[in-house]
Amino acid sequence: MKTAGSAAIRSPQPYSHSAVCLEALMDKFYKKWFLPLAIPAIILFVGVILIPFLVGVFYSFTGWRGAYFVGGGSNPFAALVGLDNYVKAFNSEKFINALVYTVKYTLIAVVWINIVGLTLSLLVTKISKGAGIFRTIFFMPNLLGGLALGFIWAFIFEVVFSQFIFNKDGIINLPFLTNMTQDNTKALFALLILVTWQMGGYLMLIYVNGLNSIPADLYEAAKIDGANTIQTFFHITIPMLMPAFTITFFLTLANSFKLLDQNIALTDGNFGTRMLATQILRTTRDTSPPDYGMAQAQAVIFFVLIAVVTMVQVYVTKKREVEA
Amino acid sequence: MKAKAVHFGGTSHKLRTSDWIVYFVLLLITIYTLFPLVFLFINSFKGQADIVKTPLQIPALWDVAYIQNALSAINFFPSLGITALITIISVTLQVIVAALVAWMMVRNKTKLSVVLFLTFTAAILIPFQSLMYPLLNIFEKLHLKNIPGLIIMYGGFGLSMSVFLYHGFMKSVPRSIEEAALIDGANVFQIFFDVVMPLLKPTTVTVIILNGMWIWNDYLLPFLVIANEPVKTLTLQLYYAKLTSGQYGNPWELIFPAVLVTIIPIIIVFLLLQKYIVKGVAAGAVKE
Repeated sequence: MKTAGSAAIRSPQPYSHSAVCLEALMDKFYKKWFLPLAIPAIILFVGVILIPFLVGVFYSFTGWRGAYFVGGGSNPFAALVGLDNYVKAFNSEKFINALVYTVKYTLIAVVWINIVGLTLSLLVTKISKGAGIFRTIFFMPNLLGGLALGFIWAFIFEVVFSQFIFNKDGIINLPFLTNMTQDNTKALFALLILVTWQMGGYLMLIYVNGLNSIPADLYEAAKIDGANTIQTFFHITIPMLMPAFTITFFLTLANSFKLLDQNIALTDGNFGTRMLATQILRTTRDTSPPDYGMAQAQAVIFFVLIAVVTMVQVYVTKKREVEA
Repeated sequence: MKAKAVHFGGTSHKLRTSDWIVYFVLLLITIYTLFPLVFLFINSFKGQADIVKTPLQIPALWDVAYIQNALSAINFFPSLGITALITIISVTLQVIVAALVAWMMVRNKTKLSVVLFLTFTAAILIPFQSLMYPLLNIFEKLHLKNIPGLIIMYGGFGLSMSVFLYHGFMKSVPRSIEEAALIDGANVFQIFFDVVMPLLKPTTVTVIILNGMWIWNDYLLPFLVIANEPVKTLTLQLYYAKLTSGQYGNPWELIFPAVLVTIIPIIIVFLLLQKYIVKGVAAGAVKE
């Protein structure tokens, strides 16, 4: 108790007794202010997240149409439809397509963006001069909005790639890299190129932090034992980076599943390129009257998918951290 | 940093061939990274025909007319003002509310604190899409489908991550200084603003940067909440500029300069505060 001394000066009681008193006084003070100071956060949380979330789960079992409930007027309890919205969602071609597309994209993106981020971090930690400048430049695209830069990349894909660089009369004839925003499969890679460009530098920063926290003597010991660069990388660097992997995999997984702005900017979900987030947003526009009940069922499936996948991922990578 | 250079970069101070290769590769990546931005810049001074025919050429004439046109088309200065206002108020709200509740949760080691903390952090898993429709429905009924409502929503959505970051940092802050302040007769708000908040500065920087970046660039929430308001955020203006221009064959002569003027404020802030931003972003990720 550092301040027990100053308390003792003010109070005539013996030293140890006053420390106990002070402790009790502080506990009382914190207890008194707990609710008043926690209330703003609790109100915001309950009003903005908890209630809408629970209402959303409930409405996914009703004939919700936004302004009214089918068969119930303004009373959701009279409009319960059981699992109808979920059945409708799984029978909807658009939803299934979006689900498959999102999962495909996520699988490729998580692997690729992390390889790029890790490679960038290894490169910038290899040099001693100018590393800061490179880090700043590589991180910069991450600050700019997905929508704004998505528009610019859409033009690059549609005009620069298709008419100047990768077309027949261009620099290299690579048909796969032309008209990327007008084909379902190519668009997935266009999206990957855009998001890698934006996110690579962010992941690099996290990996650089991880690399810098690896104790130097581990590498020295490996060198003495005669390990080569590749052995050192797989037996020291990778295991020691596990805490960083927990974060980067979580970030890339969540980000890929929830991708919206870039999807809208590049293809607006056309040519069967809708991701789940876009699909949920557009469901109410596809249906007339807007089927909010079905949109909400898709939203609940979306939540379960993200929650399960990210929790499993964090559990698996965390477990490896301990072993490492 | 320096310790690492020894392992990977060799022991001598002279640049070896392998270092030159690394620099060369980094330079190529730098060009690739900067290309879209340079591309955006040069095409912001050209007309539609030049953009489409010679997108890779530096403009023969640096005509600012397109920038001026974009500034008025997206209602730039009012939009910039409202975006800044929404971002600043929302982030301030997040910082104060999150720091207060984290402070109290760490200082009161009760079951309620634990439950509250777990609830806040578990909510990180809830994607916005799974609650946006009911949220809008409720806020519309409360007559909050407007800018104040938008700020309240940001306040709520930023909470999980901010509370998590503050909670993690607060645990390492001893309460003895707060005791001293209380004995000196400070009230609870003086203790919070004059004693606790200065100690939490590194976390506050991280919270401000992560939330500020997200709110400034956010498209979906403003689209859902304030699309019908006369003054819109910059990202929303950009979306509508693209949407309406698409009907007349994509006048890129509006989109390029419009994107340019919307990202210039962020680039200026970034270049001024890059040290804090690069550090703060990495720190935020480590604690997640």
